[in-house]
Amino acid sequence: MKVVECKELTKRYGKAKAINNLSFELTENKITGLIGRNGAGKTTLLKMIAGYLHHTSGDIQVFSENPFNNLKVSANSIFIDNGMSFSPSLTLEELLETSGEFYPNWDQRLAKRLFDYFSFNPLQSHVNLSKGMKSTFNMIIGLAARCPLTIFDEPTSGMDAGTRKDFYRALLKDYIAHPRTIILSSHLLSEVEDILEEILLIKNGEKLLHMPIEILKEYSIGISGKATAVSEWTSNKETIFTQSIGVDGSYVVIKNDCSLRDLEIARDIGLEVSSVSAEDVCTYLTSKTKEGIDHVFN
Amino acid sequence: MWCVGGDVRLILNSDSMKPIYVQVSEWLETEILNENIKCDEKVYSQYQLAEMFNINPATAAKGINILADENVLYKKRGLGMFVATEAREIILRKRKNTKLRSMVKELAKEAIQLNVEEEELLEMIRSLHQQMKGDLK
Amino acid sequence: MSLTDVTTWEITKKQYRYKLKSYFGVFSSLVAIQLLAILFSLNGTGMSGGSSGTFSYDVNYYTGDIIQVLVMIWAFITAIIITTKAYRYDDYSFVTNRLISHYSNILFLFSASILAGIMVFFTGHLFRLITILLKNTDSIMVSELTLLGTLKGITASILYIFLCASIGYFVGILIQLNRLFSFLLPVLFVGALFVDGMNNDPTVFPSIISFFGSENFLFLFILKIIMASALFYILAISFSNRMEVRP
Repeated sequence: MKVVECKELTKRYGKAKAINNLSFELTENKITGLIGRNGAGKTTLLKMIAGYLHHTSGDIQVFSENPFNNLKVSANSIFIDNGMSFSPSLTLEELLETSGEFYPNWDQRLAKRLFDYFSFNPLQSHVNLSKGMKSTFNMIIGLAARCPLTIFDEPTSGMDAGTRKDFYRALLKDYIAHPRTIILSSHLLSEVEDILEEILLIKNGEKLLHMPIEILKEYSIGISGKATAVSEWTSNKETIFTQSIGVDGSYVVIKNDCSLRDLEIARDIGLEVSSVSAEDVCTYLTSKTKEGIDHVFN
Repeated sequence: MWCVGGDVRLILNSDSMKPIYVQVSEWLETEILNENIKCDEKVYSQYQLAEMFNINPATAAKGINILADENVLYKKRGLGMFVATEAREIILRKRKNTKLRSMVKELAKEAIQLNVEEEELLEMIRSLHQQMKGDLK
Repeated sequence: MSLTDVTTWEITKKQYRYKLKSYFGVFSSLVAIQLLAILFSLNGTGMSGGSSGTFSYDVNYYTGDIIQVLVMIWAFITAIIITTKAYRYDDYSFVTNRLISHYSNILFLFSASILAGIMVFFTGHLFRLITILLKNTDSIMVSELTLLGTLKGITASILYIFLCASIGYFVGILIQLNRLFSFLLPVLFVGALFVDGMNNDPTVFPSIISFFGSENFLFLFILKIIMASALFYILAISFSNRMEVRP
């Protein structure tokens, strides 16, 4: 079943396009990572999926309906980010109870146990929490609500390293026990890649790629060696990133569509072939220029 | 049931160049070689593996499927994956042909670059091999 | 995971309950405003005096009307406050849509109006008691009370408060749509007062007031107020149905 379906989706703010002609589908019960750099349009896209914002053109469907102002989408999805606002008159404990009233699959036991594990004070108010504690509290609501579509937008911002690990593990365990569609946005792929099934990479509001994470890891290869040899061998291939090393060395990342024979030739002429981590591929694909930050200093 | 501690999770190193699903299948192979899972016994499900290694169940499933494709595991409908009778032989043969072979290839390459003659290399291997065998016993 | 079907009314009730709990601060400001109103009223709202020969008299009018007026202003401001982002976005942390947010707000404002109307009645009596006890007077005349009159009075009080709340809600939504309205609306209002009163014969505002105030039939009065409030709410809802959340 398709949970989210976007066709040529565009969102404009004045003249600027936050989301530009984006088409993709998310199928049921997968954890998808929405990856992109700051300002790539991740939050805008997620808010459109959650029904907070309306789109300018194209089409967006969540549970086969337009999510904007849609009660069915609101009741079956939850959007967790650090901008979530709660009434300051209610204590954290009361907020958990209120969430329980709204979400039919709410697991109060899980909520309470996570609440105690992270040592929250039940009588505290949400506005007085530190940034990290706010993120942690919102995360508890996101997990315990068990919505068929759960959206986490940069959920770990402000959390310390230990809490981040705990969160990802809690998310995975609860997902295994109660499979559901989860979208997780982050600019740090290395932190989330292990628990993802798919990755949706966007840049300037456009889709760069959408594929299973394991395929992304074989998406490209790194070639290093003497600059002349490298540039000759990679001349007819799609380069993603180049970097010069030392006097006459260079490192080039290319799209991995070479045959085994090609690679053997590369090895024979003394080039080093290496795999490129998913995180690096994403960084290279989303960087402004092919040389990255070095471009500024050249 | 298995005790899943932090140490087990360390086995999978996401910085390592091997894709995680390959690491999962190699870990399962080692479990079979060490006879921690015996012939015709059920192997861990994708969900158990996912929890153990803190990875997505789909990734874990891919690791299991590699072994199923190589006939190391067989499927009992509705019951899960089981270790094939000839699993050990298949794994040993594969490791000799691929892993060991490529390691030897690297070895030979490095030896040539360092101008190490064939006899010298073989002598190095022989002495280290005996030493290791002794250590393992 | 299977999807759940919910109805608008079901969620409206939940949002309404949530608002009763979370907008609690609104009621403490109501109590504060009534205490303030009593203090103001103690000065008396009208006074006349005279003398004939060796005999002189002073007549002081003490009325609780100022309490009602202040509470109506309170309702107006409260309604504006609950249309602000801080309050609107709270709804979206749970299940809702724009219609449900409005419905639950209207229900909340109605409940608040009922409570405020009843409180105005009791505060009025408290005020009379204080006046009798504090003022050193020789003679006090108090207008008579019947049960029916009391009920009618409370109903009218509640409805006026609710009407003010609905105007406030409409104004609040306009301001949320465009900040310019927070400047434009007061200017228009005061300007209209001036223009209306320029030829020393104001007609528009007195006729609006008498449209409601001079209605002798309670039922018609209720109908007029409900219709007017509904108009403001319908306008507010239809203007804000495309409003985005946390853009």
